[in-house]
Amino acid sequence: MDLNMVQYLAKLSKLNFSDEELKSMANDMTSIIEIMDTIKEMDIKYDAMKNQNVYINDLRPEIKDDYPSYPTNVEEVKKEYRNAFLNELREDVNRESYPTEKILQNATNSNDCFVVPKVVE
Amino acid sequence: MDITTLKIRDIRKMLDSKEVSSVEITKEYLNRIKKIDGQLESYITVTEDKALAQAEEAQKVIDSGNAKDLTGIPLAIKDNICTEGVKTTCSSKMLENFVPPYNATVMNKLDSQNIVMLGKVSMDEFAMGGSTQTSAFAKTKNPYDLNRVPGGSSGGSASSVSASLCAGALGSDTGGSIRQPASFCGVTGLKPTYGRVSRYGLVAFASSLDQIGTLGKDAHDCAIMLNAIAGWDSLDGTVAKKDVPDFTSKIGQSIKGMKIALPKEFFAEGIDQDVRDAVLKASEVYKSMGAELVECSMPSLKYAVPSYYLISSAEATSNLSRYDGIKYGHRSENGDNFFDLIANSRGEGFGDEVKRRILLGNYALSSGYYDAYYGKALALKDKISQEYAEIFEKCDVILTPTAPTVAYGIDENISDPAKMYQADICTVTVNIASLPAISTTCGYNVDGMPIGMSIIGKKFDETSIIQVADAYEKQFNIVAPRI
Repeated sequence: MDLNMVQYLAKLSKLNFSDEELKSMANDMTSIIEIMDTIKEMDIKYDAMKNQNVYINDLRPEIKDDYPSYPTNVEEVKKEYRNAFLNELREDVNRESYPTEKILQNATNSNDCFVVPKVVE
Repeated sequence: MDITTLKIRDIRKMLDSKEVSSVEITKEYLNRIKKIDGQLESYITVTEDKALAQAEEAQKVIDSGNAKDLTGIPLAIKDNICTEGVKTTCSSKMLENFVPPYNATVMNKLDSQNIVMLGKVSMDEFAMGGSTQTSAFAKTKNPYDLNRVPGGSSGGSASSVSASLCAGALGSDTGGSIRQPASFCGVTGLKPTYGRVSRYGLVAFASSLDQIGTLGKDAHDCAIMLNAIAGWDSLDGTVAKKDVPDFTSKIGQSIKGMKIALPKEFFAEGIDQDVRDAVLKASEVYKSMGAELVECSMPSLKYAVPSYYLISSAEATSNLSRYDGIKYGHRSENGDNFFDLIANSRGEGFGDEVKRRILLGNYALSSGYYDAYYGKALALKDKISQEYAEIFEKCDVILTPTAPTVAYGIDENISDPAKMYQADICTVTVNIASLPAISTTCGYNVDGMPIGMSIIGKKFDETSIIQVADAYEKQFNIVAPRI
């Protein structure tokens, strides 16, 4: 991986590197990307619409009964895997949250709030 | 008292029969930690006072006749599981002084049984690694050979169980991080099905792959601990609403007639000969018990490592974006503008491996590269899941080696991250396909290092893989580490 790319990624990642660290990262990333590049030989595309739960769609109907631990229809999948978003959102009522002091306990610079450098010029 | 041979079930009997008190057994473990953990470095934080206080409370519960499976049992917790009031560092300078203001759901479940927490054990930084040597605080060693790694990222968990510095431990597994160290340290490690255990309070690495699991001296102990921590949680939307069975319910039942598949790609050249031989020998033992061995194939195995690293790094880069030193975590003293403050905090707080994964994740997700890398990795995730489904049409469980080698020397592989990634080949497909798997010891090599085999099950079928692992363990003689 060339230095420009590593610098660009470092900016995206909000990571500051020294010049030597940057060179060392570029070396490491080169050998890592070599491994990642092996998937380029596969001619497949990801189909987001299809990706519910591969098992249920791919088991032939005549053997589905042999695998009781698998959900057998999409509704069941929804019930088990996506309950939080489809039918289990909690009541929209106020609940107790955490007191301010508890939340500030781990902050390095606080004054009843989080203190940060000026963001808006 | 010799605690090195005690399992959780043994301690339960001793506590319930009043042969020993919870405080006494806790002190035995604390003394042993003082005696040998200096060499082993498995603990980051030992919570001595809290443990003794918990033991006193547990004893009251035992005395009133209300003890549950884990009441009064001393356990170790991996340091990426949030424990309220107790430092949780993820082995990173980024969280060196982080004290969570809340408990992970699994900790609440364990506390409801009045366990004794001996402390927080070491790991690879943010669970990224397979050796525990990226830990900023405790580079854990292997109890069988202090010059070798314990594996990772749950190296502290595996090492402490193996050296009897706790009766059992919690770990987490994203790409093999419970199973591989269990195999390197000669103990049993169980990764449940994705969605079996709540991840609330588990510091996130790769949210679609992470699972908390259990490490113990054998499968039965792992099952007892899993019984305590599994189950639906309103605070984690990815937990399945399935009923939690008693995971010990099939232990001891005959495995006659069970079909065990051995995918041939897991026994090919990249796996050390002694590892292959040990696992194949174990399959013969299963055959002699009446199980039927089935041949099968997983052609996509060769793409498993890139698929795993692209998906997990993409998710990790997103999950680790929260570490900016503003609300918690390390904050740099340098940085007069917002970007520099954050970039310096992260640059100082994160170790090299974490940085590599963050860069790789952003590379895979960045414009122009997204489809070629992340998109393809997701397509491979589907393909690998499908190949597993096809194999499970012909069998009940799958048997593979847990790792291609035994535990290696501490200084090996350290300068070659790419080579370390390849070593995950045996474990990552299980996380990609969201399946449960258990690793147990099936032999020792010429140097006496443990060799591990993994039994992989259908989704939510932990009960069967525990049954199958236990069947082997009942006839296998464990050689304890001499530490």
